[in-house]
Amino acid sequence: MPRQVLSHTADAGLEATATTFVGLVEELATGMFELIAPVDPAGADRAATVEVASPTVEDLVVDMLSELLYRAEVDDTIFCDFAAQQPDSHTLKVVARGCDSTSIELGGTPIKAVTYHDLVVRQDESGWYGRVYFDV
Amino acid sequence: MEVKRVAPVVWEIPAADGMRVPGRIFASNRLMEAVRQDRAALQVVNVAHLPGIVTASFAMPDIHWGYGFPIGGVAATRVSDGVVSPGGVGFDICCGVRLLASAFTESDFQERGDQVMAQLDRRIPRGLGKGAIASKELVGAVLVQGAKAVRAAGYGWDRDLERCEEHGTSGGADPASISERAVARGGGQLGSLGAGNHFLEVQVVDQIYDPAAATAFGLSEDMVVVMIHCGSRGLGHQTCTDQLRLMGQAMHRHGISVPDRQLACVPIRSPEGEEYLSAMAASANFAWANRHVLAHEARQAFAAGFGMDPTATGMDLVFDVAHNLAKIETHDVEGVPTEVCVHRKGATRAFGPGHPALPEDLRAHGQPVLVPGSMGTASWVLRGVADNPAFASAAHGAGRVMSRKKAKAHASGQTVRHDLESRGIAVRPGSVKLLSEEAPYAYKDVDEVASVCAEADLAAKVARLRPIGVVKG
Repeated sequence: MPRQVLSHTADAGLEATATTFVGLVEELATGMFELIAPVDPAGADRAATVEVASPTVEDLVVDMLSELLYRAEVDDTIFCDFAAQQPDSHTLKVVARGCDSTSIELGGTPIKAVTYHDLVVRQDESGWYGRVYFDV
Repeated sequence: MEVKRVAPVVWEIPAADGMRVPGRIFASNRLMEAVRQDRAALQVVNVAHLPGIVTASFAMPDIHWGYGFPIGGVAATRVSDGVVSPGGVGFDICCGVRLLASAFTESDFQERGDQVMAQLDRRIPRGLGKGAIASKELVGAVLVQGAKAVRAAGYGWDRDLERCEEHGTSGGADPASISERAVARGGGQLGSLGAGNHFLEVQVVDQIYDPAAATAFGLSEDMVVVMIHCGSRGLGHQTCTDQLRLMGQAMHRHGISVPDRQLACVPIRSPEGEEYLSAMAASANFAWANRHVLAHEARQAFAAGFGMDPTATGMDLVFDVAHNLAKIETHDVEGVPTEVCVHRKGATRAFGPGHPALPEDLRAHGQPVLVPGSMGTASWVLRGVADNPAFASAAHGAGRVMSRKKAKAHASGQTVRHDLESRGIAVRPGSVKLLSEEAPYAYKDVDEVASVCAEADLAAKVARLRPIGVVKG
């Protein structure tokens, strides 16, 4: 289960696993944009570099996903490919690639925001697990 | 969790385990069955933990699982020692509904409906992207003055401001509390629907239940009306995101803990609380203005479709209500008039007859309460009643009963479109695929929601509206 959509009556949720924290961030970011519009990474024609600094891994996840949503909306972009790095424990950097969002048909409802509701980001012996709900 | 019935359509969750007040859900047997299917009741319980909450953590008949607050949640907190929580407002600050009357009957619309729907399709920006009717240059004034600012720029009619909750301007707005990022994200969306459950619907007044109130509201049987449902777009979404981040940090400084991080809150009378209320008001002003501009464009579309001047369309504003907002109001709490912050998350303010905030010509009847259904089902016009038991609040819609994932698996967007069109409802979707997420079967029975509102004395029935045209994001 790298990632799967969670049922929610009004909104949408996503859970994912990965062997590393940056891998988890990449899975959640990919899943979040797939909810809006699945795009073939081969069609990506632009890139953005996003960096956030936050006190906890939960905050790093929410802040990074929120920042990607922000960049997507202001730059009319749907992101589809992500390379994450964690320079230190409180900083997360993602290079996101994508394409023009104005010419594609939506595959799902656009996400308004990333919520803290039922948020889980944890590490155990098998790797990293994350769960996040979105306001749609 | 113990949930006991205390009246025919009232269910109570006794205060326990840190709850400061009981939970109280307004629902019929059937609606309560839907409540039991998800985690909405637990969210009613969580809200009951908020510092300063009084009387009860309420849930309207359209309650369903949200994030932090349930959708349909109402909580009043004492201004003197209570908190304000952005989770009780949501990301789409001042999302709401606007209803326009018209001079047209259903048969008029049948003659010119194709032209009108084509005009609406062309003129109403929706879905992703920055398409907007009004200029971004207006945003600075809009954040302070709301609908008044876009009226001054030539959109809409003077009378619109009289028929809008707060007259279309939320007081206390401070543009400085809105980040440059929020303006960058949503400033270019002034006059746009967005997507999801937001829509512009052409409807017909199907049945009148309260002729006197309907007449005062400007409604008559067989009248074509236009309902617009949208909010503060990216500007509001980013403002809530910004404020939640700040509030999460501030909450610990104030020594507050809550059962769900999305319920982050601070004392109302704290610097952070004051800043949130200022930012919320500025975002609300964007939402009032957004619906005002969309209504202007709807009048233009009808005028073009019918080949007449917009002033001849009779498209007067019936009312505009918010259903995601926190407001400082005075209510009786244990018999004492008390200043409280009423959080309505997916709930509509419903002031009863005589309330001084209502327009003079509506005051005798109570505030119009607009309850949109889902695509293909009815919508309702209710009115506020005296002695509302939930801080003058009522339902805001049908309420979802099926997740988007399940709704999409149930039928394709094309099937939903075909079904609606076979029932005489013209559909102009921004995305055909998205129609399935918003299909009628994904929602509760809005007629039952309206009936429970009436039975619980939340609001009284005025008119039932039936859809004949849908413009979706």
